Amino acid sequence: MTARLEVRALSKAFGGVQAVREVSFDVHEGEILGVIGPNGSGKSTLFNCILGQLAPTRGTVAVDGREVTGLRPSQLNRLGVSRTFQLLQVFPRLTARENLILAGQEHRGSRLGRLFGPRDAGLGAEADRMLDFFRLGTLAHETAGNLSYGQQKLLDAAMAFMSGSRLVLLDEPAGGVNPTMLAGLRERLAAINREARATFVVIEHNMEFVMALCTRLIVLAEGRIIAEGTPVEVRADPAVIEAYLGH
Amino acid sequence: MTDLLQLLIAGLATGAIYALAAIGFTLLWQTSQTINFAQGEFVMVPAFFALIAMKTLGLPLIVSLAVAVLASLLLLGVAFRYVVVGPLLQRGVLPLVISTIALGIILKESVKDFYSAEAQVFPTLLPDRNVTLLPGVTVSLAQIGVLVVALLAIGLLQWFLAGTRTGRQMQATAQNPTVARILGVPVERMILYTFLINAGLAAVASILISPIYLAKFSNGETLGLVAFAAAIVGGFNQVRGAIVGGLLIGVLDNLAAAYVSTAYRQAVPLVLLVLVILFRPQGLLGRREERAV
Repeated sequence: MTARLEVRALSKAFGGVQAVREVSFDVHEGEILGVIGPNGSGKSTLFNCILGQLAPTRGTVAVDGREVTGLRPSQLNRLGVSRTFQLLQVFPRLTARENLILAGQEHRGSRLGRLFGPRDAGLGAEADRMLDFFRLGTLAHETAGNLSYGQQKLLDAAMAFMSGSRLVLLDEPAGGVNPTMLAGLRERLAAINREARATFVVIEHNMEFVMALCTRLIVLAEGRIIAEGTPVEVRADPAVIEAYLGH
Repeated sequence: MTDLLQLLIAGLATGAIYALAAIGFTLLWQTSQTINFAQGEFVMVPAFFALIAMKTLGLPLIVSLAVAVLASLLLLGVAFRYVVVGPLLQRGVLPLVISTIALGIILKESVKDFYSAEAQVFPTLLPDRNVTLLPGVTVSLAQIGVLVVALLAIGLLQWFLAGTRTGRQMQATAQNPTVARILGVPVERMILYTFLINAGLAAVASILISPIYLAKFSNGETLGLVAFAAAIVGGFNQVRGAIVGGLLIGVLDNLAAAYVSTAYRQAVPLVLLVLVILFRPQGLLGRREERAV
């Protein structure tokens, strides 16, 4: 079986600083892979290289067996690879529903259609389903900027899943979200993974969140993978404890 | 009372023209952080495109107006976007501001040197008759016409921005260009659209205002100031704000001219500007600027 995402010997250097070194891993369909590691271990750089926001110095990235190294984020988006951001990235003055429609690739289609076609671009029903799924149904017509931070995080996640994304990369979905909301977010992510076989890669600092959500973890330190395995295995790994607790 | 009504209508008519100029101002700011200090000249110039088409090329009025709009879209829209704003934008807001001031001067002096320093009579398509709306309230059809055309233009723009997918993509571009680009919104094209809209609105404003005030190279000085003030008063980051700001200034300066003194007319937008900056810096309808961290 081809892996949904294949990363091979990916490296990224900024001048003399080697931020990511020879990182290789696979993510299979329906899997939730967690990427953890201390601050500055290269997690975000790795994400940005996978998503085409940075060009890797060496190495390749493939989605469903197709090499996508060097494609632009918008091209990857079209292939069904989407992401959420560490800092919120919703459109603050559009409504929640409009945010979802925009994320659902509405800009495809003819120029005339965009002007005179239906305003929901045929994505209204999917947007409503997604709002309900992420428990935002009652807030559909609220502008995104008026939602609480946690609700915006949910919206951000919902946007990443619009139009049947095949692979979603979540950058610190739990950051700054209160514990009650967090349990809800985790439960919804687990549900969409279960029900839609959605595949994701999660960067997260919140250990409890990652351990509960992910089926498999890789641990980065100084740009290298130092451990890989189930949450239980990783937690017991001496190299991980060493990396986190320092020397 | 009847006087007041007449003044109100006249004020709304000029205000609607100010609003056209002010809207373009806020659109450019929102999508590409361009504060266009040549905006007044952008409203002055299209009238001269029409005059050249009419007098030099001998085209009929209606064709000349079309030529003026087309020339504005090309020169004040496309060329402005790619020749002036494009190369300067990445150097920050200030160099661009200075450049637009320079552009304003160039446009003004070019018209003065190459066309004429004299005010030019500008023909109108609107009938030059008065109608009585209510007993004692007589307004000119031209004023009503200006108001109607300007409001139509504004209505069309609002429909475009709020009622179409292209409009929503323009809003997305203004609110978060990075994510819009990742989602595949053609950000560059959306930005060009705002420049075209700005040029189009300026041309409409020019065609509406020139029959009233005559076409003169220096018209842009006041117009630019008023458009700027209207945008600030209404709220710099909102199209609605610019409309309200424009109408408000139009009405107030007509009232001031009638009840206070024509000498103070020009002070109205400035006084309003000072008051708003002192007491409500985000503008009457504006939101405080949200900046990404």
